[in-house]
Amino acid sequence: MVQGLGVGLVSVVSRDPHEPNRIHTMIEWAKEGVEQILLIVLGSYAEIDLVDLVRFHYQGQHPVTKVFDQEGPLGVSLMHRGCVLTDQGPADHDGYQPSSRYDFLGYAVRLSSTVSYRRLVKDALEGHCGIHPTGTQVRESVWIEPSARVDPSVQIDAPCYIGAASNIKAGVTIRGCSSVERNCEIDLGTILDHASVLPNTYLAPGLYVRESVVDGTKLEHLGRGVSLDLGTAGLSARIGRRANPLCRSMRVADVRRTGAPGR
Amino acid sequence: MKSTPVTVKRLPDASDQASQKRFLRDIKEFVSRSTRPRLVLDLSGVEQIRPESVDLLLECVDHAERGDGEVFVAGPSARTTVILELTQVASVVRMVSSVREATAEHQPNDFESGTQSCSLHAA
Repeated sequence: MVQGLGVGLVSVVSRDPHEPNRIHTMIEWAKEGVEQILLIVLGSYAEIDLVDLVRFHYQGQHPVTKVFDQEGPLGVSLMHRGCVLTDQGPADHDGYQPSSRYDFLGYAVRLSSTVSYRRLVKDALEGHCGIHPTGTQVRESVWIEPSARVDPSVQIDAPCYIGAASNIKAGVTIRGCSSVERNCEIDLGTILDHASVLPNTYLAPGLYVRESVVDGTKLEHLGRGVSLDLGTAGLSARIGRRANPLCRSMRVADVRRTGAPGR
Repeated sequence: MKSTPVTVKRLPDASDQASQKRFLRDIKEFVSRSTRPRLVLDLSGVEQIRPESVDLLLECVDHAERGDGEVFVAGPSARTTVILELTQVASVVRMVSSVREATAEHQPNDFESGTQSCSLHAA
């Protein structure tokens, strides 16, 4: 999207304040003659019309234009080189740079929490935002990457996304706008219900993962607002460091066969 | 004649195998002398259930089912609830918010001696 503007230089800089040269790089660009700098702080997904933003910035009277939505700043700014070369910029005595405010009314999600991440996944799968899942659309609202392996017995309720090189084993159920990112393994009979599994995650057999985001051994249950480490119990693992499943779920299945009390 | 259909217990220390064996022996005895026993496991003091305790809980379910009974899990924390749901144990037990809720419909003489009150639980 940025490159579509005809921008000559795109750079990704670490947010780590201890990272050397993170500001220096921008100063160098400005010294070398870069006129306008579009600064996007990664942390939100916003479908901003950057061409319109640039037009607005040029029409404005200030060296800085900041993008806001109804919740506040989105971390997107367009600034004149003078703001970076502070000794040349129009800052006042406190270093304050007067700025224009660009009010954005389109789709935006701040990715500051797993709740927000799940919302973005759900909106993407339901077609409520501009993100289009990659992979092959095997049927309506079901996208599976060609390199994924999905057992024929797997039950999938649309919408759903299964990422590259992931292995979905027999008896798995995927429903409720769930997503499985790349290089994951979902073991026998596990149920994903309104859940997202992040890359390189193994999930043990027979689990019921609901309203959660799982990243390696870490599970965050969005409904109950708790985070758990599943690694010690062998219920999940980071691919490459797989734990030995304790087969509790299989034992639950044994108990069920004897006739479980109704809930 | 079989009697005492309700008992309330706390799970023993997950790292103490002797306590676990004793606990299971008590459960088996309770089930064997009861008709449709109701076993209430008070987890109100447990921040996060450990894998060993999940196994033990399933053993309890197994024994209770043999006596046509049922297991209640009372007062689990949010973390314990998530683990029991995740492992699908929640589908084979009755999850209730407190021991009081699990035992509300029972008369005092339904209880096994010494188990009516949370403070008197045998572990």
